[in-house]
Amino acid sequence: MSTHAQASATLPRRPTHRVRTALILAALIAFSVATCLPAIGGVEIDLESITRNWRNGASKLQQLAQPNLAFLPRTLGPMLETLAMAVVGAVTAALVSIPVTLWAARPSNPHTVTRQLVRFVVNIVRSVPDLVYATILVAMIGVGTLPGVVTLILFDIGVVIKLVSEAIDSTDHPYLEAGRAAGGTQLQINRRTVLPQSWPLLTNQWLYSLELNVRISAILGIVGAGGIGRLLDERRAFYAYEDVSLIILEILIVVVLIELLSTTLRKRLR
Amino acid sequence: MTASDPITAAAGDLAPAASGAITLRDVTVTYPGGTRALRGVSLSIAPGEMVSVVGLSGSGKSTLIRTINALVPITSGRLLVGEQDVSRLSGRSLRELRGRIGMIFQGFNLAERTSVLSNVLVGRFAHSPAWRSLLGLPSAQDKQIAIEALDSVGILDRAWSRAGALSGGQKQRVAIARALSQQPSVMLADEPVASLDPPTAHSVMQDLLRINEERGLTVLVNLHLMDLARQYTTRMIGLRDGEMVFDGPAADATDQDFEAIYGRPIQGRDVLGSAP
Repeated sequence: MSTHAQASATLPRRPTHRVRTALILAALIAFSVATCLPAIGGVEIDLESITRNWRNGASKLQQLAQPNLAFLPRTLGPMLETLAMAVVGAVTAALVSIPVTLWAARPSNPHTVTRQLVRFVVNIVRSVPDLVYATILVAMIGVGTLPGVVTLILFDIGVVIKLVSEAIDSTDHPYLEAGRAAGGTQLQINRRTVLPQSWPLLTNQWLYSLELNVRISAILGIVGAGGIGRLLDERRAFYAYEDVSLIILEILIVVVLIELLSTTLRKRLR
Repeated sequence: MTASDPITAAAGDLAPAASGAITLRDVTVTYPGGTRALRGVSLSIAPGEMVSVVGLSGSGKSTLIRTINALVPITSGRLLVGEQDVSRLSGRSLRELRGRIGMIFQGFNLAERTSVLSNVLVGRFAHSPAWRSLLGLPSAQDKQIAIEALDSVGILDRAWSRAGALSGGQKQRVAIARALSQQPSVMLADEPVASLDPPTAHSVMQDLLRINEERGLTVLVNLHLMDLARQYTTRMIGLRDGEMVFDGPAADATDQDFEAIYGRPIQGRDVLGSAP
C-alpha cells in the first residue's frame, strides 16, 4: 500500500482464454457442418430451388401486391368472429386464472405439495402447442369456433398463470405477516391483500393474452377452428391470392390496432 | 372521541377470556439454520404493563416479540398468554389467540394498493366469518369498529385514500388502527418508529402510550433508542445475544445499564432526541 513509488499505474494483462475460444469455435463449426450435410443426418437445403421456382413466386407476389378490395364485405363476418373468439377466450382465461394463479404462487399458497401440483399441471397445459390443441379439439368437438375458443383459453391460462405467479413469487409481501398476526386465514389474506396488490400484474398479462389471441386465432382457422383463418385457408385453396392478400392486410391492421389499445391501457396501469 | 368509545367497551366485554398477562418460562428459540435467537428467557408481564424490549439488532428482540403471537414458534420452554399455552395452539384456536393480540411493524406492512379502510378491516379477520372477507362485505359492526379505530388515531378523513399514498407517520397510524380494530388485550410493536422522523416517532410513541393508559392494553414495544424507552415505558427488558440481561423500571435504567445491554459504550445514534 505504502510502496507505490512509480505514479504510472499499469493495467494488469488481460487474461486470455485461447484454448477455450478455439474449442468453442471448433464445436460450432462441427455442429454447423453436421446439420448441413444430409449424409450424416443433417437437413437438406436446396438453394437452387429458389432460382428454379423464382418465376412462380414472382407471379404470386404480384397477385399478393394487388389486394382485392371488393372481397372486403365477405371478410367482415369472419373477422368479427375471430375478434369474438379472442375476447371470449381471454375473458374466460382471466376468470380461471385468478384463483389458480394465487394457488401457484408461494406467498399466497405456502403449502408446497398443492403448489407444486398446480404448477406441474399448468406446465403441462403450457407445453402443448396451440395448433396441436386446435387440431385435436376440432377432431373431438367438430369444426367451428368452439374448438378455437377452448384452444385460446388453454393457451392463455398457461401463459397468465405461469408468468403472474412467478412475478408474485419475486415480490415482497410485508402485509402477509400483518394478516397472519391478525389471525387471518390464508384465504382471507389472499382475497383482501395479495389479490388487490396483484391486480396490475394480472391485468397487464390479461391484456397481453388478448393481444396474442387475435394473432393466434387468425391462424387457428386453418385447422378448422373458426374465424378469419378458415376464410384465408379457403381462398388459398382456390389460388385466389388477391383475396388472401386482402385478408392478410386486414389481420395486420387489426393486430396493430389491438396492440395499440392494449399498450395504451397497460401504460395507464402503471 | 373516547367518552363513548365502543372499542374499550367491547374489549372490556372480552376481558375474562382475553387477559393481557404474558408469561415466559425458560423460552428458547433456535432457527432451522441453527441460530439460537433466544436462550432461556423467563419473565412475566402483568396485564396493562407498558414494557420496552431493548437491544441491538440481532439481540433477539424481534424474535421475542414474535413468539408471543406464534409468528415464530418456540423451540423449548413454556409461553402463556392469559391462560393459554401458545405452543399448543394451532389452526382455529391459534387464529383466535392472534385475533386478540394486535401487532405493528417497523415497515408498517400495509397492502399499499388498497384503501386505508380495507387495510384496517384486516384487523377483523379473526372476528368475522370468511365469506364476508371473500365477498368484501364487512358487517356493519366490523365497519363501525374500523371507523372508530381510524378516528381514535386521527386519520378517519383518509379512510378512502390508497394506503400507499400516505406519509410514513400516517401509514403507522393506519397500522395502529388495524391492530386496534382487533379489540386486542395485548399490543406488540416491533421497532414501530425506526422508519420515522423524530417528531413523528414521538407522536406514534404517544399513541402507544395512550392506548396503554386509556384501554389498559398490555404493550410490548421493541426499541433500540434509550430515550424513547425511558420516556414512554414503565418497565424495560434488555436483551443481548438472545439472553435477558436487564429487567427493571425503565426510568431507573442508567447509561451503564444500557452499555451492558449494548455491550459497548453509548453512542450518539442510541438516542432520538428532540422530545415534543
